Amino acid sequence: MEYAVETFSLTKIFSDWWGREIVRAVDDLNLRVRYNEVFGLLGPNGSGKTTTLKMLLGLLYPTKGKAIVLGGDGANPKISAKIGFLPEESYLYRYLNARETLDFYGRLFALPHKVRKMRIEALLDMVGLKAVANRPVGTFSKGMARRIGLAQALINDPDLLILDEPTTGLDPIGTRQIKDLILKLVERGKTILLCSHLLADVEDVCDRIAILYGGKIQAQGRVRDLLQQTDKKQITTGSISDTTVQRIKQLIQNEQADCVVTSPMDKLETFFIRTVAAAQQQAQPTSGAVSTTQIGAFLTPKTLTESILDKLVSARVSQEPRPEPPTEQVHPVETSQTKPDEQLLSKLTKPAEPAQPKPVVKNGKAKTKPVKTETPRPAEQTKKSILDQLTGRSTPQNEDEDSDSKVN
Amino acid sequence: MHSIWAVATNTIKQALRMKVALVFIILLVVLLPLMGASMTGDGTLKGRLQTFVSYGLSLTSLLLCLLTIIISIYSLTSDIEQRQIYTVLTKPIRRFQLLLGKLLGVILLDVALLALFSAIIYTITIYTPRYFGVSQAELTRLKTKYNQASEAEQLGLEDEIFELEDELYQLNNEFLTARASLIPPEADVTHEVIDIYEELEKTGQLPPGASRKKIIAELTSRKKLEKQAAAVGEDLIWEFNNVKPLDPDQSLFIRFKYDVSVNPPDLHVYSSWLIGDVRQFESGIEIETPIYTFDRKDLIRTFHEIEVPADAVAQDGYLAVGFFNVPLNDTVVIFPLNVGLEVLYKADTFTANFLRAVCLILLRLIFLACLGILASTFLSFPVAVLLSLCVFFTATISGFLVESFDFLSENLSALYSYTLRPVITLLPQFDKFDPAKFLVPARLLSWSLLAKVTGLMICIKASLLLLLALLVFSFREIAKIII
Repeated sequence: MEYAVETFSLTKIFSDWWGREIVRAVDDLNLRVRYNEVFGLLGPNGSGKTTTLKMLLGLLYPTKGKAIVLGGDGANPKISAKIGFLPEESYLYRYLNARETLDFYGRLFALPHKVRKMRIEALLDMVGLKAVANRPVGTFSKGMARRIGLAQALINDPDLLILDEPTTGLDPIGTRQIKDLILKLVERGKTILLCSHLLADVEDVCDRIAILYGGKIQAQGRVRDLLQQTDKKQITTGSISDTTVQRIKQLIQNEQADCVVTSPMDKLETFFIRTVAAAQQQAQPTSGAVSTTQIGAFLTPKTLTESILDKLVSARVSQEPRPEPPTEQVHPVETSQTKPDEQLLSKLTKPAEPAQPKPVVKNGKAKTKPVKTETPRPAEQTKKSILDQLTGRSTPQNEDEDSDSKVN
Repeated sequence: MHSIWAVATNTIKQALRMKVALVFIILLVVLLPLMGASMTGDGTLKGRLQTFVSYGLSLTSLLLCLLTIIISIYSLTSDIEQRQIYTVLTKPIRRFQLLLGKLLGVILLDVALLALFSAIIYTITIYTPRYFGVSQAELTRLKTKYNQASEAEQLGLEDEIFELEDELYQLNNEFLTARASLIPPEADVTHEVIDIYEELEKTGQLPPGASRKKIIAELTSRKKLEKQAAAVGEDLIWEFNNVKPLDPDQSLFIRFKYDVSVNPPDLHVYSSWLIGDVRQFESGIEIETPIYTFDRKDLIRTFHEIEVPADAVAQDGYLAVGFFNVPLNDTVVIFPLNVGLEVLYKADTFTANFLRAVCLILLRLIFLACLGILASTFLSFPVAVLLSLCVFFTATISGFLVESFDFLSENLSALYSYTLRPVITLLPQFDKFDPAKFLVPARLLSWSLLAKVTGLMICIKASLLLLLALLVFSFREIAKIII
């Protein structure tokens, strides 16, 4: 099987009651998503992205044509057991709490109780909702619901992840985390099909994209091929003196080419994340009700999430020293005066510290190490093993081993 | 199976965390004991319990029916409307499994709630007599007191004991029991009626303007009544087979009602009855089972019961009841069709009968759950609820509906009998199988009847609905059209 997703002149026509055609939502679409790539489906509102995804999953039936997902019909339980799907909004059972929600979805996959429990805890940790796991999801903000939505899409350790607007409703930090997650999942051999109209997000993560308009593919190809300006070159240097700049200009002019010299701008995203991280580091009181601070607090500070994400990819040997994550110096906050947000924050950050990924990264074999050489800290160990499991690197043997040691 | 179970438990959680279910549960938990305390019926203890059981079960049944309709419909329509179904159906679960899971959840909830409420009703029913001091223990206590008392006190105690005995007797024989009822088989009069009709036709005496069907029906009922009528000095004999009293030491009851051609001056009819195995007279063999005779004087047009020891029934379950219209009467005595005469005997305990009556309610609920699931596969919540309520109320009065339409439809018979009538008969008949109808007169609700209702209401009608639901649901597009 060459393609993870393949469609053959897929067409969807919505008709009115008399059978007259109203809208041709998807028109003769031939989509090919290779294994182990991030494929982005772009397009303005109403261009047929979501309709296409729903046809892949069997929620809508094509008027004409055929869609093959992982070599079969997406509605077939055997196939859908290997798919994770995040719809355009997180549609959750409002009366269930976060843990029950994940448990329900886990049971649909017939995951055994032990595995289910471990994965749920790991996923809650990963999306930073462990502290509110016992609250009904009906009380969650949009961003938090999105995180649960993402967690439920990952509970079966899917081979193919279909994400519909994965970053809507998320703050920039959450967006960044999802993008990192996507990249790391791909490194672990997963295939990801996402659709979005947030171009910045797509540009950062996608290997290949297709741009839809009016239900038809307008452009398709590798992001680099589509965007690279082959007739221009960009040179980025450290801080250099004006004379050197003059000399370089001279050199370039010798080749009869134009040259512009400026200081590069930070991306706003990078700046934002840096600023918030700095604020968290100083444990500054947030001004309460203002926009994203609420979510930011439930958000595990970047380190925690990163450390877990790192574990996701820990099998990949990385020799580069990792920059020290900022939260290492988080000061304990006085619980009496601080807002609940911050209490939560401190709670979340504490367990994060022992979970620093250094030994794991150096060793490069995370899955067996903690169990055998160290006295295992239950939380940390569970996380690692589950994440390994989640990403499909561990053997069933390891699963048993992990669960045993957890019981002990 | 695991996914069906997951959906079922989720449905139960949803129902329990919905305010509607809680309101219904609290309402019943409060109302039932209140009803037990406040209902007095006709003043006797038996009447009090009859009223309570009848109203208690009806209320429970009504509220649970409504709850079942609401939950079974809400569960699926809210999933579709709020689109949680997107994340559920993209998991490895077949659509029929989703529906079966929802159905299972609703039924399990119904079973639990029904068990709770019927337990409350049963407990109150059993303990109320003790609360009012009507029990065997109380009788024994009074009797010992009577034996020890002085003569002056004994007079007062005698009345008390007599009253208590009477009430206990009523309670145990007419309410806290399950009596089977046998109605004499209807005589087959078709041939006779046709003969008469042809005779009338020949002689040209047919009433003008009436259809053949109508005349035949009229003649048939007249002829049947004739078979149930005894002129002065004549007798009638009814024969019953398969009479199986639970205990030969107990009594069986002949329940009857007279109609007369001419009202007697004091509105009473004198009669002489003979009850037992009359075959023994014919064969001339030795009398093995006793044959009882009674001479009575009874008010006309009201029900009376003759108590007969159950050993009158022959070994093979044969029993004959003979009525003799004594010459004293001077009028023809008629036993009305169907209700004129029946034999009642204790065939089972009250507890077992109550249990089966509750099962009858459960069958209703299962049917309604299937109906709700079907309605929610293609309708929105309010429309589906409306449809289900219509079906529910139609089924509750289906007997009345069929009767009245039959009566009214003589002129539009073709239209009616091919459209409305099949629809009404397709619906279940909740009124015909009303549990109160069995428990209040302490009539046996036999296992075979229960099995019959199960077969009809669940195995045929409900499963048809369910099949239809599965069919509709597996072909429909789940996602809303968003472009």
